[in-house]
Amino acid sequence: MIENFVFVALLLQAGPTPALQHLHAGVEADKAGQLDSAITEFQKAIDLDPKLAAAFVDLGEVFIEKHDYAAAVPPLKHALELNPKVDGAHQLLGYALLAQGYAAEAIPHLEKGGDESALGIALLDAGRLPEAVAVLQKALAKSPDDPDLLYYYGRAAGLLSKDAFDTLESRFPDSARAHQMMAEDYAALREVPSAEREFNEALRLRPQTAGLHMDFGYLYGRAQQWDKAEEQFRLETELQPGNAEAMYRLGEAEIQLGKFHEARVALSRSDQLKHDMPETLYMLGKAANLDGDDALAQKSWMHLLTLENNTSLAGQAHFGLAGIYRKQGKTAEAEKEMELFRKLQSNASQTDESPK
Amino acid sequence: MGLALPLPLSLAASQQEPRFEVRKPRGLDFMHVNSPTPQKYLIETMGGGVALFDYNNDGLLDIFLVNSGHLANPMHAPETFDRRDPKNWNRLYRQNADGSFTDVTKEAGLADAGDGNYGIGVAVGDYDNDGFADLYVTSYGKNVLYHNNGDGTFTDVTAKAGVASGGWSSSAGFFDYDNDGRLDLFVTRYMLWDTQHSKICGQEWQTYCPPAEFPQTTNILYRNRGDGTFEDVSQHSGIGTIKGRSLGVSFADYDGDGYTDVFVANDGMRQFLFRNNGNGTFTECALEAGAGLTADGKPISGMGTVFQDYDNDGRPDILVTVLPREVYALFHNDGNGLFSYRSLQTGLGLLSAASSGWGVGLEDLDNDGWKDLFVAQSHVLDNVEAIDHMLHYKETPLLAVNRDGRFERADSGVTTAIAGRGVAFGDLNNDGWQDILVTTLGGEPLVLWNRGGAGHWLTISLHGTRSNRDGIGARVMVNGQTRFATTSGSYVSASDKRLHFGLGAAETAKVEIYWPSGAHQTLDSVKANQFLEVKEPEK
Repeated sequence: MIENFVFVALLLQAGPTPALQHLHAGVEADKAGQLDSAITEFQKAIDLDPKLAAAFVDLGEVFIEKHDYAAAVPPLKHALELNPKVDGAHQLLGYALLAQGYAAEAIPHLEKGGDESALGIALLDAGRLPEAVAVLQKALAKSPDDPDLLYYYGRAAGLLSKDAFDTLESRFPDSARAHQMMAEDYAALREVPSAEREFNEALRLRPQTAGLHMDFGYLYGRAQQWDKAEEQFRLETELQPGNAEAMYRLGEAEIQLGKFHEARVALSRSDQLKHDMPETLYMLGKAANLDGDDALAQKSWMHLLTLENNTSLAGQAHFGLAGIYRKQGKTAEAEKEMELFRKLQSNASQTDESPK
Repeated sequence: MGLALPLPLSLAASQQEPRFEVRKPRGLDFMHVNSPTPQKYLIETMGGGVALFDYNNDGLLDIFLVNSGHLANPMHAPETFDRRDPKNWNRLYRQNADGSFTDVTKEAGLADAGDGNYGIGVAVGDYDNDGFADLYVTSYGKNVLYHNNGDGTFTDVTAKAGVASGGWSSSAGFFDYDNDGRLDLFVTRYMLWDTQHSKICGQEWQTYCPPAEFPQTTNILYRNRGDGTFEDVSQHSGIGTIKGRSLGVSFADYDGDGYTDVFVANDGMRQFLFRNNGNGTFTECALEAGAGLTADGKPISGMGTVFQDYDNDGRPDILVTVLPREVYALFHNDGNGLFSYRSLQTGLGLLSAASSGWGVGLEDLDNDGWKDLFVAQSHVLDNVEAIDHMLHYKETPLLAVNRDGRFERADSGVTTAIAGRGVAFGDLNNDGWQDILVTTLGGEPLVLWNRGGAGHWLTISLHGTRSNRDGIGARVMVNGQTRFATTSGSYVSASDKRLHFGLGAAETAKVEIYWPSGAHQTLDSVKANQFLEVKEPEK
């Protein structure tokens, strides 16, 4: 509307015709929120000058404002017939078509209009998923905090992923990757025996697949079968000795099994591979503490606290440090750590309630 | 406090596993009634206590089973649970000389549980020191104290004694907190809840609500005045000044000051450790002592608890049963009033992370000189499998043998998954091997008969003179092992008061007793394989 308003102003400078006067009155009515008056004024402008493309554009826009998208389409189309380069017409027509579900028709207009958000949504609705993901990603880069964009981007990416997996399943049903995909689906549903079967089949077909043992181990970890989880994570670290997450997962499983020394080795390695990861530092401190090496525990937890000091992990580090100081007879230090621990429990629920 | 003692080689050599036979003895025909309804009243899933005790002093353990009652769908005020219907009675089964049992509920005067009381648990103790064990039955509603008349009958003395409590009581236990020679009574209470203010949780699947949906409440301490009445000292003692969601309670003198301390298992929050100040008051110190949260500073869903020395270092440790994705919490007593979280060191990470535990005990089940772990298991939600395929509602109990302080899974003999709740331990057939009784929610109890093995044993009955009649609260050391005399612990249940020790290959034992009165008694070269009664020195 602003662009058209400038256009109207320029025309008025040249000498107001009756049609332009109605166009101007329509713009003013629209600005005042008097949409029906605006429509009347734009219609009068069109009646007086049927070639006034701007009046058709403004009329279409007011219909869009009234959510009467069907009524918006004819004047916008007519405006483009009169002047294919008229300002805003493509974008508005794209909106009006998209709002009515005509995504494929809307796309060329939105492409010309330059609105990536609407274009991404139209591409998504039209099933053109790879293009939708790319366009929405660009839109998100400009507006990273837009919840609508986040939603559509997530949806497009999810559908694209599903699309690829459907293709994988239909064209290569007996491939290792198809079994891996099935395993992950079952794992998400917490159906352990079925997931186990599919993981094993995937591994039988392609034992060297990176990440497969890790996902398998993660399944066992969620099922609290830590001995099996440890075995899978160990196999993953053998395949990928440079994978910090695999080392971390192995250490985590070994802690659960009471193998604290082995856990320290794995977690130290993970820390070397990827520095300054708070989770790794916390777990390394825990493994060291449980293994009787309070010095390393203290060092790891204090390092963690230099990286983050107001998270639940920081709270756990304070709690662990309090235990060490208490054992050492440093009551004041222990109490100070406990105070910090309590402070980080944002409400009593952390200490006095467990999230069941 | 003793230091860690190396176990004699003769004991360490014994590596056999306990062997159990699950067999229902003749005459034990109990069926627990919990009446689950679509209303998902929380009490439905929490009951089922059991006591193993010798009510008639004939030397044979008898069985008392707590029933719950009928729930209407929905319940209307005033709440009644049809407890007059015989199928909803609590039951006392007297053991006969041939090992069979006879239901003596009616003649014992235990048929009337109170129509407004939905039964939960039981505690056992001789509160009047007359030599006959008395019963305290906890409920949602009012609790009942039954005095054992010594002639095979009991009398409801609740009103006179002043111990009805109220609300929702869970586990209870007798102990002598002021060492005056009279047993006092601790009653845990779960939450402020009633059927008129119940809720249903869940979306697609309707479930019991988590405890955080309901307000916390206080526990109760009753002091025994010695005249058949009790005084509610909850506020004065400090016990009632802190609110929780308490389900389990266990007792021991963890700091060696001669006064019995109290551990309370709380559901879905930090645990309580009440240190006995020795002057009639307690200080709650779980967080400071390192027994309130996990090593990660996280709360747990405490249900059952036991306070005994699992690693033979002479100091009582604490074990708490919890829900899955937590791990049964083992707080090791490090001395100096401090505990450390040792669940993962002891193997419980592998044994319990996917299980829900209720009744629990640390008992030497293979007589090798190390206390083994037994837990009744089952999830709290009866439809948990529909909600989470990784979890199970019914489970077999956990039997874990203790190998030098680390637990390893063994065969409990129970092959069918059950909804386990209460557990009591005792030597039912007096063969020197601890047997186990497990209650099941809405089902029949299981009796696990210990088939024995090669290890020697010693079972000690305490006869207090200056201390309370049964020596409850005494610390008894036998060949480097320590037990704290108690009938309490587990979950809503009471175990045999006799103290059982496995001796492995040792044929004699050195026995040391630290009585609550302060008396110290030593017996050398006590022969193995006997039931020994030890009387406290008169002065």
